[in-house]
Amino acid sequence: MNRTHHRHRVPGTFLAAALAALLVAATGCSSKADGDSGSDSADGVKSGPGVTAKTIKLGALTDLTGPYATLGKSIVQAQQLWADETNAAGGICDRKVEIVVKDHGYDVQKAVTAYADLSPDVVALPQVIGSPVVAALLDDIERDHLLTFPQAWAASLLGKDSVQVMGTTYDVDMITAVDFLTRTKGLAKGDSIGHVYFEGDYGANALEGSTWAAEKAGLKIVPQKIKATDTDLTAQVSALSKAGVKAVLISAGPAQTASLVGVAASRGLKVPVVSSAPGYAPQLLKTPAAPALLGLLNVVSAAPAVSSDLPGVQKMVAAYGKKYPASPVDSGVLSGYNAAQLLGADLKKACAAGSLAREDVVKAHRGQKSVDTGLGSPQDFSDVPRPAALSTYVLKPDAKAVGGLVGVEDAHEAPGVTEYLAGRS
Amino acid sequence: MTAFLDSILTGLALGAVYALVALGFVVIFKASGVLNFAHGSLLLFGGYLVAVLHDDLGFAGALAVSVLATAALAGALDRLLLQRGDPDPKAAHVQTIVTIGVDIVLLTDLSRRIGGDLLTLGDPWGDSVTRLGSVTVADSRLAAIAVSALAIGAVFALFRYTSWGLSLRAAAEDTEAAALMGVRLSRVRMLAWCLAGALAALAAVFLAAFPAPGLERTTGQIALKAFPAAILGGLTSPPGALAGSLLIGLTEALAAGYQSELHVLGEGFGDVAPYAVMVAVLLVRPTGLFGARGAARV
Repeated sequence: MNRTHHRHRVPGTFLAAALAALLVAATGCSSKADGDSGSDSADGVKSGPGVTAKTIKLGALTDLTGPYATLGKSIVQAQQLWADETNAAGGICDRKVEIVVKDHGYDVQKAVTAYADLSPDVVALPQVIGSPVVAALLDDIERDHLLTFPQAWAASLLGKDSVQVMGTTYDVDMITAVDFLTRTKGLAKGDSIGHVYFEGDYGANALEGSTWAAEKAGLKIVPQKIKATDTDLTAQVSALSKAGVKAVLISAGPAQTASLVGVAASRGLKVPVVSSAPGYAPQLLKTPAAPALLGLLNVVSAAPAVSSDLPGVQKMVAAYGKKYPASPVDSGVLSGYNAAQLLGADLKKACAAGSLAREDVVKAHRGQKSVDTGLGSPQDFSDVPRPAALSTYVLKPDAKAVGGLVGVEDAHEAPGVTEYLAGRS
Repeated sequence: MTAFLDSILTGLALGAVYALVALGFVVIFKASGVLNFAHGSLLLFGGYLVAVLHDDLGFAGALAVSVLATAALAGALDRLLLQRGDPDPKAAHVQTIVTIGVDIVLLTDLSRRIGGDLLTLGDPWGDSVTRLGSVTVADSRLAAIAVSALAIGAVFALFRYTSWGLSLRAAAEDTEAAALMGVRLSRVRMLAWCLAGALAALAAVFLAAFPAPGLERTTGQIALKAFPAAILGGLTSPPGALAGSLLIGLTEALAAGYQSELHVLGEGFGDVAPYAVMVAVLLVRPTGLFGARGAARV
């Protein structure tokens, strides 16, 4: 479409010729811009956009200058670590792996432009940061069959062939949280639980899970919706203590978790608090709320703590610390590295099946029924509308641990999760 | 009852902080006819300075430097950028749009510096609380009420008893006549901007203090909640800004505190409530609570 546009606007023969030359060059560069007619290379492996005889190009749409800059940096570095390790071990399909990183600064418009720029030249996206970004790109990603691992866990991202949420979704985590509260914190039938949540996909999905689980357990959820700009949760805490809640769930950002727990503790509302994974960051242990967080908070997460004794995690943490000694090791490092490893497994499988064309990479990915990268629960990618894993970890803050979290309960499937998913689909 | 008192106190404290910001809007608007959209970033600038300086200078020193620096930045912004344009007071809307540009520039740079961090300001209140009967209040909130009351009182005194205040009121009344009477408009204006900047830096401290976890990239956006407060009060009236801010603070705290009772109005009504109140007031009094009646020329 754009091309015809340009032609209309460019009058001179010379310019037209230059444009034509450019187009030829452009198609030449990306081997074949349309993925349908992939070419066979010397080794008989069918290739497609982003794949040449020597390299496999992957893309990352990340945030290096916006609100999630810390997370973005962790993931970019972790995936680069994976690429370096993979290349040192001979690459994938006898090709070197290369990751092209584009920064969108958490700006959806910039991200859409960056995607248009990047997508013709890569075979998959091991990193896309930002729920609104992913939501804006969903249709394009599906159309382009570009296997994508978003850094978001809302159930609304399930059901897309080319988009893979890693591990559990927010609702499943919250079902685990409610189970954890009733099992270990003495909540009983008739009690109320507060749930403070962000407006949007993330909060809505978490609330869906908590509401279902609470109803199942005979508990009542007291919802409190907030926005990302709300950082003083005094009013919410008053409302929750008025409602007499025995525990609080929170699905928001780290700032909100700190305010909630700090205010609650200072007003004598000393109840257990369980946060969704994005609601915690190790920096919180430097705020005035640190003592309260250490005493009251638990975190439910699809991924284990970075301080976990899983050999795969320990190996990765050691390698990361060696390569980037100045960078903190946080949960972003783990999930970024895990996404890259999962994609690596898909690419190897696709190669073995004889094609690195995008559709075939997606097909290889969807054929994986139980992948274990050694970085957490094994995942099943074959059922598109179902979360890749149903087991959630329960963690808690610890100032001395790497990444500021330690494990409390190993990954386990909470009772009712299967029933919940059956009811939803 | 406890919950009600709780909400009232929270609302008063919020309102007091909003008043610092809203007063800035009003002072600037009165002096220059400009709606300062860069106010949120000025606030963030002030907070950021306290955050980076408090380790070396102590909280009080950092706050003093930050208040002065933010005042200087606001003043410079007016003098070097806005006053360079068309001197016609009718061009104020152009300058208003310039402030949007300034906001983007300032905010982009500050966001880049702050990134995903939560910066603590090293304030002396920490997470301590005071019990007043059955109600618990954070000390930082009490300090917010006290400091805001002092600052607002001082601003009112400035308006009333200083020659600058007189000049400002004269200029707001009739720019041309004031100029002819020897009022140095550009200086009056610049000082108004400085004052607004200083108030914004002060507000930043309380917006980032205890019940909030610290200064974030988005702290400046909270200042936007003072917009309805300023408009509600009439935009040209400092007492109006104060009344409007308290009203908005109380509305917000009560709407959030009674969210479950207000469930019929939809969840998250607390966020909309300030605007709902603003619209309701403007329907009854189109010029705001204390706004000047626009002179109609025939």
